Amino acid sequence: MTDVRKPSRLFPSSVSRRGALKGLGAAAALGAAPGFVRYAQAQSSAPVRIGFQAHRTGIGAAYGRWYERTTAAAVKAINDAGGINGRPVEIVTEDDGTDPARGAEVVEKFASQHRVDLVYGTLFSHVVTGSAPAAGELKIPYYVVSEGYHVASGKLNRWVIQPGITDVRAQCRSVAPWIAQNVGKKITMIFPDYAFGHDHRDFFGPAAEEQGAQVIARIAIPPTETSFTRYFPQIPSDTDVIYHVMVGPAVLTFVKELGEFYGGRGPKLFGFIDSLEAVDINSPGLEFLEGSHFWEGMPRYLQPDASEAERAYRAAVGLDDNGAAVNDPRDVSTNAHMFGCWETLHIIKRSMEAAGYRGIEDRQKLIEATEAMTDMEEGIEHPQGPKRFDGRIHQVFGTQNISVVENGRLNVVHKTSIEDGLYEPEADYTAQAF
Amino acid sequence: MTKNAVRANRIRLPALALAAALVPAEALAHASDRGHVLLLPTGHYIAGGAAAVALSFLVLAFAPQPPLDRLARWRLPLGAPPPGLRLAGSALSFLFLAFLVAAGFLGSRDPLTNPLPLMVWAVFWVGLTLAQSFLGDIWRFLDPWYAPWRLLSGGRAAPHALPARFGYLPAIVQFFAFAWFELVHPAPDDPAVLATAVCVYFAVNLAAMLVFGHEDWARRGECLSAFLRMMARLAVIEGRDAPDGRRRLSLCLPGAKLVGAPPLPPSGALFLLLALSSVSFDGLMRTFFWLGLIGVNPLEFPGRSAVVASSTVGLAAAFALLGLAFFAAGALGERLAGRTGATLAAAGALVWSIVPIATAYHVAHYLPSLAVDVQYALAALADPFRRSVELFGSPHLHVHAGALMGADRVWLIWNLQAAAIVGGHLLAVLVAHVVAFRLHGSAAGAARSQLPLAVLMVGYTVLGLWLLSAPTAG
Repeated sequence: MTDVRKPSRLFPSSVSRRGALKGLGAAAALGAAPGFVRYAQAQSSAPVRIGFQAHRTGIGAAYGRWYERTTAAAVKAINDAGGINGRPVEIVTEDDGTDPARGAEVVEKFASQHRVDLVYGTLFSHVVTGSAPAAGELKIPYYVVSEGYHVASGKLNRWVIQPGITDVRAQCRSVAPWIAQNVGKKITMIFPDYAFGHDHRDFFGPAAEEQGAQVIARIAIPPTETSFTRYFPQIPSDTDVIYHVMVGPAVLTFVKELGEFYGGRGPKLFGFIDSLEAVDINSPGLEFLEGSHFWEGMPRYLQPDASEAERAYRAAVGLDDNGAAVNDPRDVSTNAHMFGCWETLHIIKRSMEAAGYRGIEDRQKLIEATEAMTDMEEGIEHPQGPKRFDGRIHQVFGTQNISVVENGRLNVVHKTSIEDGLYEPEADYTAQAF
Repeated sequence: MTKNAVRANRIRLPALALAAALVPAEALAHASDRGHVLLLPTGHYIAGGAAAVALSFLVLAFAPQPPLDRLARWRLPLGAPPPGLRLAGSALSFLFLAFLVAAGFLGSRDPLTNPLPLMVWAVFWVGLTLAQSFLGDIWRFLDPWYAPWRLLSGGRAAPHALPARFGYLPAIVQFFAFAWFELVHPAPDDPAVLATAVCVYFAVNLAAMLVFGHEDWARRGECLSAFLRMMARLAVIEGRDAPDGRRRLSLCLPGAKLVGAPPLPPSGALFLLLALSSVSFDGLMRTFFWLGLIGVNPLEFPGRSAVVASSTVGLAAAFALLGLAFFAAGALGERLAGRTGATLAAAGALVWSIVPIATAYHVAHYLPSLAVDVQYALAALADPFRRSVELFGSPHLHVHAGALMGADRVWLIWNLQAAAIVGGHLLAVLVAHVVAFRLHGSAAGAARSQLPLAVLMVGYTVLGLWLLSAPTAG
């Protein structure tokens, strides 16, 4: 494996180097310092430094572990293929504690202390929204992998961009036609009563109604609830399909109680795999999911028709056929989401190459190069499937998978088209000044 | 305040306002392993555990005392450790700590690849505390202050005596700061933050040892030594200084040393209760119950930064409540037994029965994560100064996080945790009973004096099991 340690490693740390440089005072003095000249000369082959804002601790840690593994695998793949513009990629990881306030501090550290080329990798929405103003103020590209609608909504800024994973609005829209045509037209939604659940309520409901389906009940469950049986009588008896997006530790209890309530004779179920990421689908309590359908960004289980690119991606990340770590079968991955890290890093590579990126003075060119991207073909850089990027809203669109639980496995039964998820943009970041 | 800090604050405030105003569109609070626990019949375990502890109290009230007393006094000599082991061990420990601090400042910024946070929070705080509780006073040979103190003081007597009226107050203040840093500070895992904290803590306590002497400050001032020495009283190896100056080791039964331990002053008792209450609060602060109390949506936990004030209050309140409950139980017990005037002394002897409970909480709350964190620690020690994740995917560094995952492992872990909590409380009841018998001289008096404390222990058993079974964030 290539060791890409940076040439300036002789300095004890970037911080102290910076501190020493600051002491010299003027820019002229900087130019005259022998160490600075050496580093400047080495810049053409110096690593591209990417600041990885990682959820290593806090409530995002289970996802953070797999985001880290996917990042490491993507960096290795990129470096093995010659790096970016001939320069190796180096990842600098900072933990944000899955904490928005720390997220902003981490972005500040990346920009000022580590002087990375860009910041990347954030998953949790509240950390993205907490960090985005710092990225905008410090004018550092901020590539997030969070699937939230916050980027596409236009409420962030031009330095924040989500080119490697689709957003929840597109995901909801994508699955609506298939549900209406194949599962049923009378839909009851059960969702946690806060922002996440409200997004599903607000995005899926209208999309389903466009398809001739009808949401006949919306059951909001308080976030602190851990027993659900008393809510089930609110489900209308003529419901064809229950659309459920429960999350948190009580989701197993929810599934078990729902199964016991209907005793196998109830409406069909459609859910999002988010809450069962990193959880074995064969866990006790989940037997009732047999025959139900799930959205998956990328299939957890290896499908018979998986592309060569997808197989290569899974091997590089270290996934077995069941979507768990190849050398640790209990460690189930977050495969529906983590491909976003792989694809984002490859988009960063493409953008840097298109921009002729040399150093942090080219950060604006980097954003502009990503904004200029449009269609991306399925392949090793995009193993999840083809993508279409909309530079105006800094958001990528792609295909989605609908899978059925059969014999304790998730088997893909339908792949949506990119067009299924498209919606009218509500913003245009390219009109904003940098 | 530095320029960077000013700028960070300027950025942070609008950032947080925006975070609050925007609609977060996805929440990945997944069905963590606590989800499997929620499906277990934990209510039965809680009832069973409480019944076992209550029943043990009843049985002891009628059990003959002399055999128990004899068991507590039983010793099997094991020989003596080599002279000089303490100095050599301390010197090595100091050098290792210096190396870890250097890694904290210069190594990876990632708390799971930098060895300092892993060694401090997993190997030291969890691993060493448990080794200390089960085996004996290993810390005596690993204390990183002893050798530097010997070097700097030249072995001369301390210039000042730590006033007796201070009692354990310095240790209480420092332990509260330590627990606050661990549980409330937004980034105790950050390698540079932790390295700074370790340096400050080490320097402050080395200076205090040079003023007040190593032995007294390690007993009543430096809170980690004070805590670890108390935990070692549960263990099965006893070390005593023989008249010839050599240290002699002997084997004893678990908890036997607690029975003969000199009574603690009220401040010493409070110190021990602070240690237990902080671990209890560590469990409580993650529960839906607590997050509901402070008005936080557990499915959208806003991060530690957002709950600093409430967590600080909670940590202090947990300490105050436990302290109040313990001393009230002690006073009531003395009244029931018809004794007056020696309440504080009795409480100081009986408080040693808290040690098995503190150990049980430590085992139940931290041992499972140790299985994974030790792997991270070994991987980090293999390359302490690396600064990229380049090697992370390579096979020799793959951390087997699956050890704790899946319904069957969760079942096993839950049963071990429940056994630890119930076992710890059973031992606590036993220790308290033998201590009370020695104080009162009769089984009846001992039983009467123990009644309130037994109720408290049953309650704490229920709390301990509930904390491990309640829904939690993350």
